[in-house]
Amino acid sequence: MKQVFIIATKEFKAAFKDKVFLVITALFLLLSIISVYIGSSTRNAEMKAYQDIVEILESQGATNFPLSPEIFPLAILQNIIKYVSIIGAVLAVFLGFDAFSGERENGTLKLLLVRPLYRDQLVTGKLLGAGLVIGVLLAITLIFNTLLFSLVSGILPNLNELSRLMVFIIMAFIYMMIFYIATLFVSIKTGDRAFGFLTMMVVWILVSFVIPQLADSQRSFAYALNATNQTVTQIPSDTVISKGIEIFSPAVQFQNVGKDLLQGVSETATMNVFEILSRQALSLLYILVPGVILLFASYRAVQKEDVL
Amino acid sequence: MIVTEKLTKIYGTFKAIDDLNLTVKEGAIFGFLGHNGAGKTTTLSMLTTLLLPTSGKVSIAGLDIVKDNLKVRGLLGYLPESVMLYGDLTAAENLRFFGKLSEVEKVDVRIDEVLGLLGLIGWKDKKVKTFSKGMRQRIGIAQALLHKPKILFLDEPTSGLDPQGTKEMRDLLLKLNTEWGTTIFMNTHLLSEVTKVCTDIGIISHGRLLLADSISNIERRFPEAKSLEEIYFNIEGGQF
Repeated sequence: MKQVFIIATKEFKAAFKDKVFLVITALFLLLSIISVYIGSSTRNAEMKAYQDIVEILESQGATNFPLSPEIFPLAILQNIIKYVSIIGAVLAVFLGFDAFSGERENGTLKLLLVRPLYRDQLVTGKLLGAGLVIGVLLAITLIFNTLLFSLVSGILPNLNELSRLMVFIIMAFIYMMIFYIATLFVSIKTGDRAFGFLTMMVVWILVSFVIPQLADSQRSFAYALNATNQTVTQIPSDTVISKGIEIFSPAVQFQNVGKDLLQGVSETATMNVFEILSRQALSLLYILVPGVILLFASYRAVQKEDVL
Repeated sequence: MIVTEKLTKIYGTFKAIDDLNLTVKEGAIFGFLGHNGAGKTTTLSMLTTLLLPTSGKVSIAGLDIVKDNLKVRGLLGYLPESVMLYGDLTAAENLRFFGKLSEVEKVDVRIDEVLGLLGLIGWKDKKVKTFSKGMRQRIGIAQALLHKPKILFLDEPTSGLDPQGTKEMRDLLLKLNTEWGTTIFMNTHLLSEVTKVCTDIGIISHGRLLLADSISNIERRFPEAKSLEEIYFNIEGGQF
């Protein structure tokens, strides 16, 4: 176990010494902060508009007032779901693309494998190191955003909201780790780090953009006529085909779970965490299954002689 | 120190190493000679536990390299042909990492000791990416020496070095052998290096060991030959 921690510590330090990684990390944090700020400001504007209307009605002597807009505090953090699913995935790819191929190119893989160390310990050490990096990053995101959210919106999250937020961060961790594991697998199998990086970029584009768009194209649409404005609104709804296509996109599955957790869907906005997780059990399964398969495949691949 | 019995490595249908029987004595500097593709690196990879033999046995200091692979790794130091190390880390950081993995006690003291021996103490806190090829080779040797190995495996240690770097490497190997008593097994195709450094040699061609003996014995066995080079080419050409 000591060997695993030595490797994990080295991976952790190396990540935070890498300038490109630091730039992507800074971008990730910045975008999440901006999104919270915009979300909070929008919510404040909506509340102010409502209060202005109430004041006008009051001055006109009205006693019946429209209902206050239904605002769910965590919905302010909604944009983070997209940032994690897109930039978080890139970050994980960047963290892992040369985990093995880089060691091979540097000649350090052989130096590691002649140490009193099992090959699976090397994989575990790399996973633990990446897990620490992603964990620290998400913890910083959580703390920053919760503070900013409370400061700008003036709302202190209650226990249910905090637990939703925590579970969302855990889900984000799992999602990013799955991208890391996939990248690690590619890095073990390919001898060339540039090829490995490009392969994972293609995978990222597929699961983040191509598959979701393909699924969108297979949805059915209902049309709602607004007689006052004389406009027709398209209301997309899932079909078996669109749902089937989305199974292959962990990004879509993560977004589905994320929307429920961060009160983006009004029907689940008041549920507790366990109810949400059981409702999203299939999405969780679709996220976890490829990750577990790739994890086993990585441990198997590293035992093969051609890894050198 | 090293004993191989009928050591064989087969890739698909290609027999890379064929029934290799070899003995390297403790305290020897063994030069393993052969043309490119003769099977030197495959042999070295099996001796260092990086590759598993297809058949046959290897023991190092009495330990089986397959059954006791972790213990064997504790006894050996290894320098591959081209080693870059972690360029963004300093020499000391690289060595600390490898030292800890080899479970070296008082690793920082040992780093100073090894860097002192290699004349690199002034470069301890410099990033490895700024080092010349010769210096990187020496840091490569340093990582191999940290845990005081009984045997040092080197794959073409002077490859790519300039004459000065080659001489320094040669002097270093002799120093390690005489002062620390380290047994050295080195792959090389440079006959000039072998005569200056090695006590014993083995010649391999197409995966088969053609000859293995001490240099003094070889000179006695082939009195008509003017040089080791002549012996090598005649053995390789099947004339002896």
